[in-house]
Amino acid sequence: MSQDLIEIRGLVKRYGAVTALAGVMLNIRRGEFLSLLGPSGCGKTTLLRSIAGFIDPTEGEILIDGKPVIGVPPNERPVNTVFQNYALFPHMTVADNIAFGPRRKKVPESEIKTLVAEALEMVGMAGYIERRPKELSGGQQQRVALARAIVNRPQVLLLDEPLGALDLKLRKRMQVELKRLHEKLGLTFVYVTHDQEEALVMSDRIAVMSEGNIVQLGSGEEIYHAPNSRYVADFIGEANLIDCVVGTDGRVRITDDGPALPYEGGRAAGERTTLMVRPEDMILGGGGVSIEGTLRDKVFAGMSWRLYVALANGQEITVQPGSIAAAERLKVGESLRVGWPAERARVLAR
Amino acid sequence: MRIGRLSLVLLLGVPVAYLIAFFLVPFGSVIVSSLTTKDGASTLANFGRVVTDTYYWETLIFSFKLALWTTLVVLAIGYPLAYTMTFNVKSRAWRRIIFIIVVTPLFTSSIVRAFGWLVLLGRLGFVNETLIWLNLVEKPVQLLYNEFGIVIGLTYIMVPFMVLTVASVLQNLEAALLDAARDLGATPLVAFLKVTLPLSLPGVVAGSLIVFTLSVSAYVTPSILSGGKRTVMSMLIYQQYNTVFDFHFGGALAVVLLISTLILIAVYLTIIERYGRTA
Repeated sequence: MSQDLIEIRGLVKRYGAVTALAGVMLNIRRGEFLSLLGPSGCGKTTLLRSIAGFIDPTEGEILIDGKPVIGVPPNERPVNTVFQNYALFPHMTVADNIAFGPRRKKVPESEIKTLVAEALEMVGMAGYIERRPKELSGGQQQRVALARAIVNRPQVLLLDEPLGALDLKLRKRMQVELKRLHEKLGLTFVYVTHDQEEALVMSDRIAVMSEGNIVQLGSGEEIYHAPNSRYVADFIGEANLIDCVVGTDGRVRITDDGPALPYEGGRAAGERTTLMVRPEDMILGGGGVSIEGTLRDKVFAGMSWRLYVALANGQEITVQPGSIAAAERLKVGESLRVGWPAERARVLAR
Repeated sequence: MRIGRLSLVLLLGVPVAYLIAFFLVPFGSVIVSSLTTKDGASTLANFGRVVTDTYYWETLIFSFKLALWTTLVVLAIGYPLAYTMTFNVKSRAWRRIIFIIVVTPLFTSSIVRAFGWLVLLGRLGFVNETLIWLNLVEKPVQLLYNEFGIVIGLTYIMVPFMVLTVASVLQNLEAALLDAARDLGATPLVAFLKVTLPLSLPGVVAGSLIVFTLSVSAYVTPSILSGGKRTVMSMLIYQQYNTVFDFHFGGALAVVLLISTLILIAVYLTIIERYGRTA
């Protein structure tokens, strides 16, 4: 048995002149929690709906458990979806909503009763069996929608921005609950979101998408610490993207005549490239690699200070040092050195 | 939004005054005349005459039968049309064109339309000629001056009302619900029966109520297409008012028609509500 439950090969979807998916290649592992992350219009929902069977791709193949599924209608695919706006049937009770799937499979009614109770128990909604969807809050409806999908024990659970309509506090709690549910059920989750934090919190792997393509695929740590492009670095977390110049020695520097930094530019002398450093990796006073700057502004951000520092090339970067005391003493207009552990910065070619 | 007292009086007062002047007052006078004799003495004799003569019962039942058939045929034509318009016609332009075609019959006078049907359905009309030419029948079929002709004439007039009410409900149906049904294992047919149909029921109920009440009180179409051979309640009432000049008995017939229609509607709504609760 292959480790990959879903294989997506060269998936293309065009709507007239618009390309929604531009040849996506992706293997989804059995039992993993994979997030499709990207801004709206990047093709993540199109990809999800292609797996669910609501969209017929223009080109390419999708295999679920080794079987090609292009042309197989959604009702015959071993997947279930949790929809963005829940899509609960308003004319049915919670119990009937959850029983909808099992009833289609002709599961005996006595068994359905147990299944419904179990599913509701699992999402913490045991007391709501006879309610109608409109009598429930958004968060409760979301749980019922989740129960309605997992009661079928699909091979893949597809989640289309399921927490998008909830407020921040509830969203954070649901993230943890979803993660636990995933561990308990051992199902494969494919989760669409535009919220990078959500993706980082829950996913085993994240596929960052842009303009119909997957631009980077990896674990949250990999994508956060080793982004492969400016786009990914900028999209995931906060990043200082420092414009650099490649010197004759191949090393990057901030200005043409500035000191060389210990990073290989990877291109010809005189060409420009980008050095990425996360604000929270930066230390005041240097240590490791350090550069000169002028403090332009500082604001208190609760757990730390945020310092806005102008570099020799005129660019402004954000520094969020761990030490509060050192930052507190600084005055706006003062010259300072900021540094970072050498391995924390990366040259981004793209 | 805050509304000034004057505009409130205008907004509410105008329609209320209109309703009183043109609905409640005439309606009251019909009820009063149905309960009085020519001399103005109160009596139940007019109703006694309606209830005891089987002719009136038969006419009433015939009127309801016509209206019921019309409603069923209109539903059978109107629902699929509304469904197709909403879900299968993707281009906005085409949807608008179909919409206009559906509504156009409402712009023509019902007298013109009824005479149109006379031309089409007559012994030597287009329909019979075609049937004979296709060798489907040997001699012209009786299409006019019977129940069939009247139902056809009424159906044609009533279809827009059903299409418009059903389509407006279907348009508001969340597309994700159908996706959810398919996702949970429903075939397109099951998704229709379990989701689309129950959720469009309010439109069906509203549409069939409009069609039924308009059909049961229709006058022009039945009187032209029946050729005087069949009588419905509205024709009897018209006779009493316009030919016999017995406003009292005519009033009683009108009240009986109104009350029995209301009873049927109440029964219908009760059944629908019960179905809605179990579905």
